[in-house]
Amino acid sequence: MLKVENLTKVYEDGTVALRNVSFEVADGEFMVVIGLSGSGKSTLLRCINRLIEPTEGRIIWNGVDITAAKGEELRKIRRQIGMIFQQFNLVERSSVLTNVLSGRLGYINPLWSLINYFPREDHERALAALKRVGLEDKAHNRADALSGGQQQRVGIARALMQEPKLILADEPVASLDPVLAHSILGQLEQLNKEDGITVICSLHYLDLVQRYSTHVIGLREGRLVFEGDNEDIRQMTDERFKEIYGEEAERIGTGSIMG
Amino acid sequence: MSHAPEHDGEKEEKVLESWERAPLPERSPLIAGILSIIPGLGHIYIRQVYRGIGYLLLSLAMAGLTYWAHITTEFEPFPGLITVLLILALLFWAWVIVSAVLAARQRRFAPAMGLIVVLAYTYILGWQATEVNLQKFFTEFPDTFNIFTRVMWPWRAAFEREQELLIARADFANPCPEEGLPPQEPGSGDEAWIVVEPNCGEFARYVLGEGVRPGTELTVRGGGFLPDREVEIWWKDPIGQEFRPIYEGETISAMTDDEGNFSVTFGAPQYETPPQAVGVQIHEVQARQVTAIGALRVSENLELAINRMIVTIFQALMATSFGIVFAIPASFLAARNLMYGTLPTRIIYYVTRFVMNVARSIEPIIWAVIAAVWVGLGPFAGVIALTIHTIAALGKLYSEAIESIQPGPIEAISATGATRLQVIVYAIVPQIIPPFLSFTIYRWDINVRMSTIIGFVGGGGIGQILFQWINQSRWSAAGMAVWLIAITVSVLDYASGELRKRFV
Ligand SMILES: Nc1ncnc2c1ncn2[C@@H]1O[C@H](COP(=O)(O)OP(=O)(O)O)[C@@H](O)[C@H]1O
Ligand SMILES: [Mg+2]
Repeated sequence: MLKVENLTKVYEDGTVALRNVSFEVADGEFMVVIGLSGSGKSTLLRCINRLIEPTEGRIIWNGVDITAAKGEELRKIRRQIGMIFQQFNLVERSSVLTNVLSGRLGYINPLWSLINYFPREDHERALAALKRVGLEDKAHNRADALSGGQQQRVGIARALMQEPKLILADEPVASLDPVLAHSILGQLEQLNKEDGITVICSLHYLDLVQRYSTHVIGLREGRLVFEGDNEDIRQMTDERFKEIYGEEAERIGTGSIMG
Repeated sequence: MSHAPEHDGEKEEKVLESWERAPLPERSPLIAGILSIIPGLGHIYIRQVYRGIGYLLLSLAMAGLTYWAHITTEFEPFPGLITVLLILALLFWAWVIVSAVLAARQRRFAPAMGLIVVLAYTYILGWQATEVNLQKFFTEFPDTFNIFTRVMWPWRAAFEREQELLIARADFANPCPEEGLPPQEPGSGDEAWIVVEPNCGEFARYVLGEGVRPGTELTVRGGGFLPDREVEIWWKDPIGQEFRPIYEGETISAMTDDEGNFSVTFGAPQYETPPQAVGVQIHEVQARQVTAIGALRVSENLELAINRMIVTIFQALMATSFGIVFAIPASFLAARNLMYGTLPTRIIYYVTRFVMNVARSIEPIIWAVIAAVWVGLGPFAGVIALTIHTIAALGKLYSEAIESIQPGPIEAISATGATRLQVIVYAIVPQIIPPFLSFTIYRWDINVRMSTIIGFVGGGGIGQILFQWINQSRWSAAGMAVWLIAITVSVLDYASGELRKRFV
């Protein structure tokens, strides 16, 4: 169970990205965060694994206060939380295998890893992860030689290496076309259903939200403006949707978001 | 005159630059013309500000250059140059005035004419200032052609053959001893032999009022040589100096017959016996035949050129290596994304950038002159010069590589629970190593190219020897050096290109 309490983030330049946001995510949920661009989705996800330092509030995960963790403790928390990015964030010039193996960095002896040494079982694990995402034959390609969809699957394989209990996915399909979007979200859904990994995922398209979510929260200008389950979002009217998305909803709503 | 609508400066310029678009503020053509007495002012008045400033600067430049052409001793102006320049400058002035007047009426005036006048001015003065001389260019080409061919095709001088000589000797006495000399016996068997008849006599010598009095006529017969080949006659005096005697203006030689015998007749050469030599002097006549031609081997010049080329490549290598050592720390100091945060680091950033820009804008050849004063002529001076330039150039390129590091992978690796060091090794290093390598190879390539030139000003290496050979008019040797440079540079260019492809 992940508990977010009164989370606030104010950036150095004074931008308030999150205002007093609170919600809970039960284990095994596929929670989707919706909101306009700039509403604070990325900031929220990054606060959870502390890539961004929250200004105020607490995040408690299975009784552990993530917001209070430091150093070694924080690294031990992070290694259980996989993360997937809109821009994939692979090291493009490294091989696919190295990228996947790097998901293991939180577990292995730091000294060995400096000379690019990973134990045998990690290599096996990496090949298994690549097989799971259907890329076992690409292990020795350079990451930037892969297509966008393939790169995102490498990203999933890298997260899998962490043996995560939670996966944060920040608009994982926003850079992909709709067919690939379903394939990537399908993979996440499989991890969620079969492996019981909790997923927190921000999405832009309403039909994807309706199709994959079990739990939805909506952000608007850093405020939590909507919370509901999949049923709620299925029955959401355009008017209600407009409330979440504000004045611009019409244009974006009929275009990309409803897309 | 109606009121001009209030515009903000920049927008207004854009509107006014496109002529067709109405409405334009109305301006008096008369005032525009009068103001154009100071060229450009009229255009500024009709709100073509940039155009007006441009015309003003052009006019000032023309006036200044005309004056310069008048007073300079840099070149010998052709008669009437100044007049022509003045006329062109005045034409331009007139054109500016007319164009201002017409522009006020929203019409253009022969824009090509202004351009033509400016170009004519520029090229007439430029032709003079650079002393272009087509006559010399063509008439003196044939003289150069000989040099040119030797530079372009120096390979005859690149290789030599070791020669083996067959030599036979016979004595010749001067003057003839009173008791006479026994005649020489022809040899027998396989050994080459010669006899001189007579085997004593007088040398040719210069007699005042009479000219050269010929020496005793000698016949040299020989045998045991290779058949059908040339035999050269040489002379060796009592103190051991060897020379080829001249008879009737030419050196002496003969062809052997099919049994290897020959015979040749010539006058004893002109020879001044030193006054302190007393009595009978025994000279030696030699017949030489090249019997075997040794293997082809690299000539001394080519060997020297190759040695220097190797030194040059090492110079480039050392300079690149030293450069890297300093460029890496410098590049971190000059990386905006690392240094822009706080004021002190930002100052360091600007200072580093500034120093590197200055060092880079000074050509390595100038650094070489400075370094030659510093550590003396030679390869080390070249290394210093190239190192300085390399630090500046690589530092800039490296810092750009650092600035273009993607934050995404850093974020992703941090999110896996990696330590700081692991993030550096897995997310940052892979991003900067390839561009670093690529830039470094590129730089080495440039350094080889530059180090060949740096020798011209005392930086050692192949440039120095090339410079020397050119000064001594040793064109074949110079040609070899030029070829070596060309070959090395293009091979490295290709190799570095191929290598770089693998890293980017
Ligand atoms: N590093 C930062 N510094 C300052 N403001 C930021 C920074 N990152 C994001 N913001 C601002 O915070 C707000 C929320 O951004 P973000 O979390 O990226 O939203 P989303 O992911 O929903 O598009 C935006 O107004 C954005 O401009
Ligand atoms: Mg975002």
